[in-house]
Amino acid sequence: MPRIIACYKWVVDEAYIRTDSSPELDLEYADKKMSDYDRNAIEEAMQLYEKYGGSVAAITVGHPDDTKGVKDALSRGPEKAYFINDPSFENLEPAQTAVILADVITAKTEYDLIICGEGSSDLYAQQVGPRLAELLDIPCVTMVSKIDLAGEQLIAERKVDDGIETVSLSLPALLTVLPDINSPRIPGLRDTLAASKKPVIEIVKDELSGNFAPCLQVLASFKANMERNGQKLSDEAADIMLLLDTLQSKGLIARGVK
Amino acid sequence: MAGIWIFAEDYEHNLELIQGGKELAQKLAGKIVVILPHNSGNDEKAHDCIARGADEVLYLPPLAKDEDFMACIPLIVAEVLQEKPDIFLIGSSLRGKELAARIAARLNTGLCSDCISLELSNDDQSLVMERLIFGGAAVQRVVIPTRPQMATIPPRLFSPAAVQEGRTENIRELPPAPPSRVKILGKKTRTHEAAALTEARILLCVGRGVEKEEDLSLVRELADLLGAEIGCTRPISDEMHWLPEECCIGLSGIQVKPELYIGIGVSGQIQHITGIRDARIICSINNDENAPIFAVSDYAIQGDLYKVLPLMIEGLKKS
Amino acid sequence: MDFKLSEEQELIRENIRELVKKYLDPIAVEIDESSRYPAEVIEQLAAGGWMGMPYPVEYGGAGLDYVSYAMVIEEISRSCAATGFTVSCHTSLASGPIFNFGNEEQKQKYLVPLAKGQHIGAFAVTEPGAGTDVGAATTTATLDGDSYVLNGIKTFTSNGPVADTFVVFAFTDKSLGGKGMSAFIISKDNPGLKVGQHFYKMGIRASQTSEIILKDCRVPREDLLGKEGQGLQIAMSSFDHGRIGIAAQAVGITQAALDESISYSKQRVQFGKPISKNQAIQWMIADMATDIAAARFLYSYAAFLKDQKQPFSKEAAMAKVFAAEMSTRHTSKAVQIHGGYGYIKGQKVERLMRDAKITEIYEGTSEAQRMVIAGNLLR
Repeated sequence: MPRIIACYKWVVDEAYIRTDSSPELDLEYADKKMSDYDRNAIEEAMQLYEKYGGSVAAITVGHPDDTKGVKDALSRGPEKAYFINDPSFENLEPAQTAVILADVITAKTEYDLIICGEGSSDLYAQQVGPRLAELLDIPCVTMVSKIDLAGEQLIAERKVDDGIETVSLSLPALLTVLPDINSPRIPGLRDTLAASKKPVIEIVKDELSGNFAPCLQVLASFKANMERNGQKLSDEAADIMLLLDTLQSKGLIARGVK
Repeated sequence: MAGIWIFAEDYEHNLELIQGGKELAQKLAGKIVVILPHNSGNDEKAHDCIARGADEVLYLPPLAKDEDFMACIPLIVAEVLQEKPDIFLIGSSLRGKELAARIAARLNTGLCSDCISLELSNDDQSLVMERLIFGGAAVQRVVIPTRPQMATIPPRLFSPAAVQEGRTENIRELPPAPPSRVKILGKKTRTHEAAALTEARILLCVGRGVEKEEDLSLVRELADLLGAEIGCTRPISDEMHWLPEECCIGLSGIQVKPELYIGIGVSGQIQHITGIRDARIICSINNDENAPIFAVSDYAIQGDLYKVLPLMIEGLKKS
Repeated sequence: MDFKLSEEQELIRENIRELVKKYLDPIAVEIDESSRYPAEVIEQLAAGGWMGMPYPVEYGGAGLDYVSYAMVIEEISRSCAATGFTVSCHTSLASGPIFNFGNEEQKQKYLVPLAKGQHIGAFAVTEPGAGTDVGAATTTATLDGDSYVLNGIKTFTSNGPVADTFVVFAFTDKSLGGKGMSAFIISKDNPGLKVGQHFYKMGIRASQTSEIILKDCRVPREDLLGKEGQGLQIAMSSFDHGRIGIAAQAVGITQAALDESISYSKQRVQFGKPISKNQAIQWMIADMATDIAAARFLYSYAAFLKDQKQPFSKEAAMAKVFAAEMSTRHTSKAVQIHGGYGYIKGQKVERLMRDAKITEIYEGTSEAQRMVIAGNLLR
């Protein structure tokens, strides 16, 4: 009967970033969404709950305006959400997020398992999960693609560079999950409407005690310039032959093969 | 004295980081310390690291086969607190990234993940690093005010360090590790497919524009003629299951650096482009004039791939 | 006046879009071509609580406001108008009368499974001789002991072939004219009710339409809906509700046509440039977008009035006639923009143009709508 906490982040939808020529990143009217892999984290928490019982709570750190994100998270199944918010909590870097989460999780919750996405859609630093585990001094497994629970024992499969490792550990623990671990459910209508009625525990900056001064400073953000020459060609035979000639002259391909 | 510490799971990657350390050490005057996994009696790699520029090699304590090397974290942290290096670079393997984040948390220091560029600031006092955000659509330039400045470094950012003559050795070993809380029960090594993709000189990538699984035979025919490997975008592996997950190229898949990349019916979502941005030549075939991949292509073929592929195959067969 | 969608509405829209993209988009062409009922999609919709949206939770619904409900119908219709209509017919036309006029037993017995999507509903009023002229119906219901006995033929009954529950209209007393018609709830298990000829249509082909044949169909007294003689009132009320859904359906169809036209015109190169650079195309697209926006506001306003429990008959009629007529006009333009390709099976706009036409006809023709509007204004 594990008590599970699923962490999520409400992020700018990167599809919004226009690929026009100006280097500035203008995110003022950007839509926001739940970070893609956090959907998998919440879904995994819900599937474990449906299989083993217990409870699932969602937790997030963000701006006070991010109320839609709280509803989105709750509509995916958790029974309640911890919403740690402050106007200055826009654009936190992972070290700060981890300290704040550790603070609140320790002070206000009891848990057996914490599940995070492998990385967020915006920064993809892949740091919050492991950092949080260290701060809470609990074992950690990242890049998890399968989870099995037997009481206090957890068996997980995790991706490593040259394959898949099967590991075992005891609860309480923290896991970060890969997108291939599950297919997040699409919230039904009743789930979305019921979300607004679930309890939201709001925590403001003054209630926090840890030191979450930033450890990383952003000097600038700008659009990645990956533009290339871009010679346009049609699908006509003449153009394709021209391309093959060019690639051959650059020593990239050989012709008259077979 | 400033120190530059290095750790990478993969030995070749380690040599690249030593090179990175050497380039920094030119201005920063620090000693380069390399952490190696325990190598019970065989000091060959340690000597090699020193020959290539390391001033000191630190061995991790021996671990039982089922112990996770993360158990060494408290030892590494204790050593860092004592020696106070200025910079700590870790190779961005999957476990390397986890290791770096956990060490950074214990040290209460900043960490730049998947750093794509690394240089010293104007006053030579700190590192200015860049990394990709928003799935690769944007770049973030950062500095870390805390110490040590930590970064995870992807492969091939630096070339492997070259051997020099006459370097003095200093090899030591860290104390034993506490028992690992995570036990490794077993491992399945993955198929060679993904390794082949990262090494591939020519790479064809299957995207959603390819209509049926049967059409992959056309792609394979082209690949055979070119001596190319075949990868895919995420929908092809995750939704259609036409190719295994290891063939998925992109942000949370594989990063590739071929001489020639040909996208076949690939639209060019930013998460995929991030995986191919270092290709020498990018060629793409897509029906949609507005496909984002055209903006990052050297050769942009707007048209029907079912027309282009047979033409390419025919053209390659002729001399 | 707040034109902003609430956070819930935004989430609801995102979720239905995702569901439709995953389950309906991949089969939309096939179900149109083979006139197949998308049972698997209806199942997903039922599981997600989308088949009884505006009805209270205690009756198995979601308690959703009508503005949001109409928005969902628009989103489903954008992918497949036939499925959007199947849902709106089931929800507004068939379940509506039971919610608005049924007694508690009837609601528990019939509305709950309908709202949960366990049952599908149909609404049978039209007959071969009675379209706009509802009063020309010849189906009769004669009281015999504890039951009414119904005889007659209904036609163009949407959802007929797949429905579990039918709301059927028949004359209990022809001599009273309009006040002599009554409404009945009939289960498909009733031996006196048979699904007759299936109709293969120009458009919304995945929506199942048939005759319903009533032959000595015995309906127990407790399944009389409302009072004897209340039938016409029930039918008219049902149409008012249904109209908002049809307007939303028409907007969904036209929005899809606009999306296709924008994307195609940017791709199609003639005379060395994409046709989107031509003013003629630009104006077509501008007009399409403008009418879509206007129609969307109109149906949302009608739905808003209904939610406010204000009279909304006139506004529903306005929304329906405007949305339907602009949808046929603009889907035709969309085919035009696509040129020869727009005429080929499998191209979305080919289907959209065929789908649009029915919106000018069913649930009250455009002519009937104008009568409703004028009648309201010239009282």
